Amino acid sequence: MNERIVQTLRDLRAYALTKTGLDVAIYYHEEDSHLMRFANSAISLNTNEHLIRLQITAYSGQKRASYGLITDLGKLDEMKRGIDMACEMVVHAQPLSYKPTIPLFTETFVDESAYDETLAAISGEERLEYFNDAVKGLETDQVRLSGIFNNGSTIIAQINTRSEHIQYFRFSDAQISSVLAHETLKWETTAEQSAQKKSDLDPSRLHHDLAFLLDCYQNNTPRQIPLGRYDIVFGAIALSELASVMNWIGFSGGAMKRGFSFLNVDQVGKEVFSKHITLLDDPACMATFPFKRDLTGIPRKSWPLIEQGVFKGFIWMQDDADEFGTQPTGHTVGHPSLAMQGGQHQVSNLAELVKQPRDNDLLYIPFLHYMNIVNPSKGVVTASSRFGALLLKKDGSVAVPFNVRVTQSVLDIFGPKVAWVSDTTQAVNVSGSYGARNPTAIILPAFIRVNDLEISHSNTAF
Amino acid sequence: MRKQLQQQIERLKANGALYVDARWYPFEETNYLLMRNGNLKATAASRESGLGVRVLYKGAWGFSASSDLSSPGALFDHALENARVAAERVTFPVRLAEKDAIQAQFTSPCQINPFEVPLAEKVAFLQEMDQKLNQPGVFQRVCDMTFMRKQIVFVDSEGSEIEKTITEVFGGLQVSGLDSQGESHERSYVPGRRGDTRGWETFDLQAFGQHADRIVKELNEILVADQCPKDTRSVILLPGILFLQTHETIGHALELDRILGYELAYAGGSFVTLKDFGSLRYGSPKLTVRADATAPNSPGSFGYDDDGIPAQDNLLIDKGILVGAITGRQMVEEANIKAKRQIFNGSSGANRATSFYRVPIERMTNINIDAGQDGTLDDIVANTPNGIILDGARSWSIGSNREQFHFANEIGWLVEDGKVGPVVKNATYKGDTVKFWNSLSAAGDPSTWSLEYVDNCGKGQPNQVMQLGHGVPVCRFDNVTIGE
Repeated sequence: MNERIVQTLRDLRAYALTKTGLDVAIYYHEEDSHLMRFANSAISLNTNEHLIRLQITAYSGQKRASYGLITDLGKLDEMKRGIDMACEMVVHAQPLSYKPTIPLFTETFVDESAYDETLAAISGEERLEYFNDAVKGLETDQVRLSGIFNNGSTIIAQINTRSEHIQYFRFSDAQISSVLAHETLKWETTAEQSAQKKSDLDPSRLHHDLAFLLDCYQNNTPRQIPLGRYDIVFGAIALSELASVMNWIGFSGGAMKRGFSFLNVDQVGKEVFSKHITLLDDPACMATFPFKRDLTGIPRKSWPLIEQGVFKGFIWMQDDADEFGTQPTGHTVGHPSLAMQGGQHQVSNLAELVKQPRDNDLLYIPFLHYMNIVNPSKGVVTASSRFGALLLKKDGSVAVPFNVRVTQSVLDIFGPKVAWVSDTTQAVNVSGSYGARNPTAIILPAFIRVNDLEISHSNTAF
Repeated sequence: MRKQLQQQIERLKANGALYVDARWYPFEETNYLLMRNGNLKATAASRESGLGVRVLYKGAWGFSASSDLSSPGALFDHALENARVAAERVTFPVRLAEKDAIQAQFTSPCQINPFEVPLAEKVAFLQEMDQKLNQPGVFQRVCDMTFMRKQIVFVDSEGSEIEKTITEVFGGLQVSGLDSQGESHERSYVPGRRGDTRGWETFDLQAFGQHADRIVKELNEILVADQCPKDTRSVILLPGILFLQTHETIGHALELDRILGYELAYAGGSFVTLKDFGSLRYGSPKLTVRADATAPNSPGSFGYDDDGIPAQDNLLIDKGILVGAITGRQMVEEANIKAKRQIFNGSSGANRATSFYRVPIERMTNINIDAGQDGTLDDIVANTPNGIILDGARSWSIGSNREQFHFANEIGWLVEDGKVGPVVKNATYKGDTVKFWNSLSAAGDPSTWSLEYVDNCGKGQPNQVMQLGHGVPVCRFDNVTIGE
């Protein structure tokens, strides 16, 4: 635990305690971010940012107001002015219809288990070396490299006027995405990796995946596939998009109460999904960059969301629980630790999948681009395939399709049409880099086969 | 501070940098208020300051940023070091188009600084709107307002020094309700830009009130409406959805960095190639599109971009033919060389960063469609035998090369034999970009033209959110698939 941060928070708490009649919560976020971006086989940008954000929330009975600033540890007076601002704002805020809970930390909690100094300190030369290894021998004048190597470290620390105790979390993370795309034919292939510690980094795996896809794409002429119904094998990255959106519009009690969920209270305890699907929020899974306590101090434990197809219940963040008069479930976190369990079907990588005998043509979709929610009440989403789709023919041959659009309900994709779930799983890094650093990954089966899904649009070119 | 920046820039030039610029934000402040069902869920404000440094060294970019300005020299060194590493993998050395050295100031037009308006007055505005929306049929009501104000000092190694002060205001209303099957529907109001300014004065209580009544009425019509049919017909897009169609399938497709492959790892590419400029029939002859950063009242107008290039008004599509792109200094040079012809004559002034800690990239300004000569909305409807009027963006999803799309709308009105018919729910439409724009059969007159805005356009890695505008008329497109 960084003592300078702790002392700063204690100084700020002492200052906040002078604000009679008000409570103040202080959320500290520090990031050291490095991103090497590749395009057209060159490094198109090499950047780093070191930023400290402070979010100050003032409470007065049923009123709440917050003030944020980007600052640094040498600016204690500026931070105190932030407290002044939040306290001034809360006076003029309008009371909520409920009393917002102010967390009470009953002990100091420090978790640095998801931090690896060697990953956080990786150099620019090492990032470049990783990429050079990942695509060694695969680039040509026409097949060009794009991608990112995004790594960094994050510290989150909290204190408030209710107790002197601190919550302190520290993470290291890396998100690597490599793309090999044809400059004129415009097809694209990709391989990705998520790392929580330096020893996770394995450029040879990316090289293997890219080489296999490149072989398929360079030796087949892409073609438009007919509209209609297909048996689809989704890869882990595509599944991560679907799981993320399902989490957003499915499991949140607040979303359900606001009419923005495809699940309802009558479905709790019922088999809503395929019996092949089990999904947990599992803070024991280090690859998800977990919060082992939530931001209100509730210890987090493995929490089943779907168990062999049965919907186990809604999760409640503190503010939603306050508003709707129920108990929080320890899900007031920057991100959950979603982990979908593997199944019985033995297959660990794409090369194995392609070799397996099949009873029908299989459309392999590794990636879903630009997913959006068409109808939240029905869980209908739409997205296009991208980055290495394949049509695995029943006769064992492989074809390359132009991109297609899938518009389906997640209840169908994860419902009775699921034919099998792969026994292997992998971590997919889904971190965004909007705003504050928030390393996020989901554990997913490498492949899930879903039968009889409609393709509603089929491109005539890339 | 400015003198320090100049000294550091000179130092890096002496150490081999080809070009250096610094963007110092003395302040950037925001204020965000969100009221949901009468609850003021968010009363938030923020303030930040910092410095971003961009260095070009041996044809490669390095960038570094920090909020800690106690040792700016170290920040400049970081940026140079990042560029040195990047220079180890260069395939096309970065070149920058010529520009003039400029000393200038820009202040966006604003009569009333929203940060000087008392919080109580803003909350009262939201409360009044919330009460207006609190009517039968409405299950959830949301009112929000966002204010932004920032000062940017730009200094570069070519002698430019530009100071900008930009104020933006955004806000809107949304209602949602549940139909008899428990399915959620929504209707929203996001005000188009009126007048010549962009301060608190644009929050017109009367206009908001009128639109609050309208969206509640329309929501209740949606809740009892039939399902949108699945068929092919003419679609008449109101500005409340056409702005987004323009944004996604013209604006993003014509960002030159995307066309050149610089977004392939993330946001995607473009179906447009360098060969297409001057020849591709992007749309019907009724389609003329421009990138106009000179409109006074839009977030897509900013005086000078983050390359130090003055705001411009450039044609992108002229009577259906592709003629221009959204460009910065770097990309036009690369495009002209790769195309082996001069497609672009200098930067179009569209390189922008969302904050001091992000690097500038090609961003839309105001991507506008010229009004046409096909009359009012009523005139267009009267000339439509079989169609649907669509408004409101419920969802949008675009192919990775912007070659195809699927939009879901808040509301649709069927059009039969030139007359507006019943409302339908769950309206959607989809299509292929070029085919769609070539099916443009009517462009409304200036009375139908409205300047809409986008306050959350995402692009780039690290990700950036940008604000911009789209002025568009009512337009009709033929033979479009709806209801999927």
